[in-house]
Amino acid sequence: MDKNRFPDIVLDTMKNLNMVIILYLTMVTVHSLSGYIYENSAMDFLMRVKRTPMEPWKLPILSVGLYLCLLLLLSIRCQRKTGFLLKTILELGIVFAISYVLNFSYTGMAFLIIADTMGHFSDMKQRLILMASICAVYILLDYDLLSAGHPIISIESCWAYYSKEMRSLLLGIRNILNSLNMIVFIIYAVGLILTEVREKERVLGLNERLNTANQELQAANEKLEEYARETEKAAETRERNRLAREIHDTLGHSLTGIITGIDACVMLVDVAPEATKEQLKAIAGVARQGIKDVRRSVKALRPDALESLNLKSALIQMMEETKRSTGVEITYQIEPALKGFNKDEEDVIYRIVQESITNAIRHGRADQVAVYISRNFNMLEIHIEDNGVGCNNIQKGFGLHHMEERLEMLKGTLSYHGDHGFVIDASIPIRWGTEEEND
Amino acid sequence: MEYKEMRNETDKTYGIRAGICVLLLLFIWMIASDAYKMLPGFYEKVIRIGVFSDSYWNVQNGYSYQILEDAIEEFEKQHPGTRVEYVSGIIREDYSEWLSEQMMRGTAPDIFFVPGEHFNDFAEAGVLRDLTPFIEGDREFFPERYYTSAYNYGNYEGVQYALPYECAPKLMFVNKSILQQEGLAMPENQWTWEDFYQICRQVTRDTDGNGTVDQFGTVGYTWEDAFDSNGVTLFDEKGTECYLTDERAKAAISFIGKMEALNGGYSVSSKEFALGNVAFQPMLFSEYRAYKSYPLSIKKYSGFEWDCVAMPAGPEGRNISRLDTLTLAMSKTTIHKQDAWELMKFLTGDERIQSEIFSYSEGVSVLWEVVESEENQKFFAKDSDTGNVLSLSVLSEAVEQAVVIPRFHDYDSAVAEVDRAVRNILEGSLNINRETIIQNRKVNHYLKEKQ
Repeated sequence: MDKNRFPDIVLDTMKNLNMVIILYLTMVTVHSLSGYIYENSAMDFLMRVKRTPMEPWKLPILSVGLYLCLLLLLSIRCQRKTGFLLKTILELGIVFAISYVLNFSYTGMAFLIIADTMGHFSDMKQRLILMASICAVYILLDYDLLSAGHPIISIESCWAYYSKEMRSLLLGIRNILNSLNMIVFIIYAVGLILTEVREKERVLGLNERLNTANQELQAANEKLEEYARETEKAAETRERNRLAREIHDTLGHSLTGIITGIDACVMLVDVAPEATKEQLKAIAGVARQGIKDVRRSVKALRPDALESLNLKSALIQMMEETKRSTGVEITYQIEPALKGFNKDEEDVIYRIVQESITNAIRHGRADQVAVYISRNFNMLEIHIEDNGVGCNNIQKGFGLHHMEERLEMLKGTLSYHGDHGFVIDASIPIRWGTEEEND
Repeated sequence: MEYKEMRNETDKTYGIRAGICVLLLLFIWMIASDAYKMLPGFYEKVIRIGVFSDSYWNVQNGYSYQILEDAIEEFEKQHPGTRVEYVSGIIREDYSEWLSEQMMRGTAPDIFFVPGEHFNDFAEAGVLRDLTPFIEGDREFFPERYYTSAYNYGNYEGVQYALPYECAPKLMFVNKSILQQEGLAMPENQWTWEDFYQICRQVTRDTDGNGTVDQFGTVGYTWEDAFDSNGVTLFDEKGTECYLTDERAKAAISFIGKMEALNGGYSVSSKEFALGNVAFQPMLFSEYRAYKSYPLSIKKYSGFEWDCVAMPAGPEGRNISRLDTLTLAMSKTTIHKQDAWELMKFLTGDERIQSEIFSYSEGVSVLWEVVESEENQKFFAKDSDTGNVLSLSVLSEAVEQAVVIPRFHDYDSAVAEVDRAVRNILEGSLNINRETIIQNRKVNHYLKEKQ
């Protein structure tokens, strides 16, 4: 954290250094000008420089006042571009004014603006354009260049008041201060670049960590999917076992009873026809009971919705519920009335729609699913598409296999592709088509 | 929410900072442009005049501020509410330095007198205000009322920076007594070098027969006078080049050599003229006035009759000499421009004030109507106790025809350099053409060094 503030500390140093330089140049110039006045060489001076210098008492007020203005402006942050441009132009104007007051003997304040602009402009292109223009202004603020067009009193001719040795010393100090300012500026620039590099590295590091986390998450997701598949398989096995048990318990029990009863009837039929009759009646009861049990078992395997509602309503209810529970936008258009289908057909249609929506949400990560069910002559067409990630390499793990199996039993076909989202098309021949049309 | 509040807070302080910055810039502008002087606490409607205590013509006459005080009194009467002040006690010698110091301090007087020798310096230093807008905007101002040469004295590089206040032309004073003794006629106003030489040749002789020449032709006639009357331009406007090799300059130098040869190596002093032993002496009008019988000055030329005439004309020139002019300029930094202009106009253009110049100063008024007025004629007649009445037409003509030479910085040292060169040419062993080429190169070298 402290290291990030390094350029700010350098910038403050630079501001203080500039204040020192401006004060130094102003005070020496004021002293030399006053010297001319008090030592009766004002005429010589005026005739030599051929220009009236600014009144000595004004110099410190103007230079320090203008510099304070510059500092105030530098402390203002502008969010908007026009404001920033206006501020920069004003700052350059003040730098020009200070340079003018100092007879263009020092223009290093321009580096403060460059430093400030560098520090608070993140866009590289704009930063370069701005810095280039400020540099151009800095170069143009050269005494020799300006004095070619306009009469300016050079600081050297002001300081000619001093003896040669003294003047060399004073000019030397000025040059040292000037160089110091340059060095501080370079330190600032380097510091700023280093800070930026560090910042970039930090961002890169964070990105890497994010990537690893992402990969871990994906692995976990895959594991979870595998687990889900296993669970599904286990549930299937459990269901088979339950079915086997159910068949064994109900149908097996009844059939065993029936077989045993019929065997007894075979033996009894000649000896005691009446008793046989009774026995057969009992067997019929067992069979009836068996049928009842089978029906109950089948009923237990059917979806609840289909049990209580017709297919269309069940589908709508299922989709609305999914919409509510997942937040995915599901649009549907079901043209036929979907009446007259057998229970097994209803089951298959229901399962296909349900499975496809589940796949779109779970694997395709879609947030829009569209379902169209229409009738084309004696074929029922189911078209489901989503806006998910799709799938280029389709593995039939996602319940597609079950769908195909189920459709095959009804002589139906299934096609799908995953280029843009995932699209499933299922066709089922309508066995009771004419009936439905009569409805 | 918190962030937004924080931003509002900083926006507010930025606004305050920008406001302070604007106020500070306004304050700085007021200081830098002197606009603060117009503020109620600082404003004062006082016009200050920069003037020196002794006469411009190096004569102590005790009337140094008389004209100025009369003018101020009259001006304040005509412009109620305006006060005019002047700083007294600055002597002529220190005046230009004092003025420069006031300019550097920013306390320059609104209008000030500019000694002729420093006019170009001040104009070049950019401390004088361009008077063109006032001249063009004032229907009551007529430049043609001034002598052309005196008026042009205030012109630097085509810009009028000053108005003439008083001037003094150079005239040739003639000892009429000597000419009468020698049976020679008084020269005409359009006389030439040849006339001048012939008279000098005839009067230069040993009158008492003791073997030494004791009556001379001329004293104080310098190569500068010869240059002026032969149409020589010695330097360019900026003082970077000298034109000694000009044929007219060479003719003038030869003429000086010829004149000096008459004296046979005897160096005549101006005291000899006062004693009545010299026929001609060129003099500034002011010198004449100072030496002329005057309440406070010595009666110098009482032993002979005198007259004055224009300077003799060279073969390529006219009967003209140079003019020294005291001008009045306006400070570039004055905040009372219009009033300052009115006062300048009053001091230089009011007939009553200008006619006081003859009473209280040694110069000549810059207005020809004042110089040629009847009252003035009477004044001169009364002033003269020897019966020698200055010919006002000669004076007026001399002023009007005078040349204005470029006066660049350090003109005097450049002239000293040329003087040395002329001496060398006259005393040189080579012929004049080669000698002038060599000397001209030396002077030009000196001028370049000085830059």
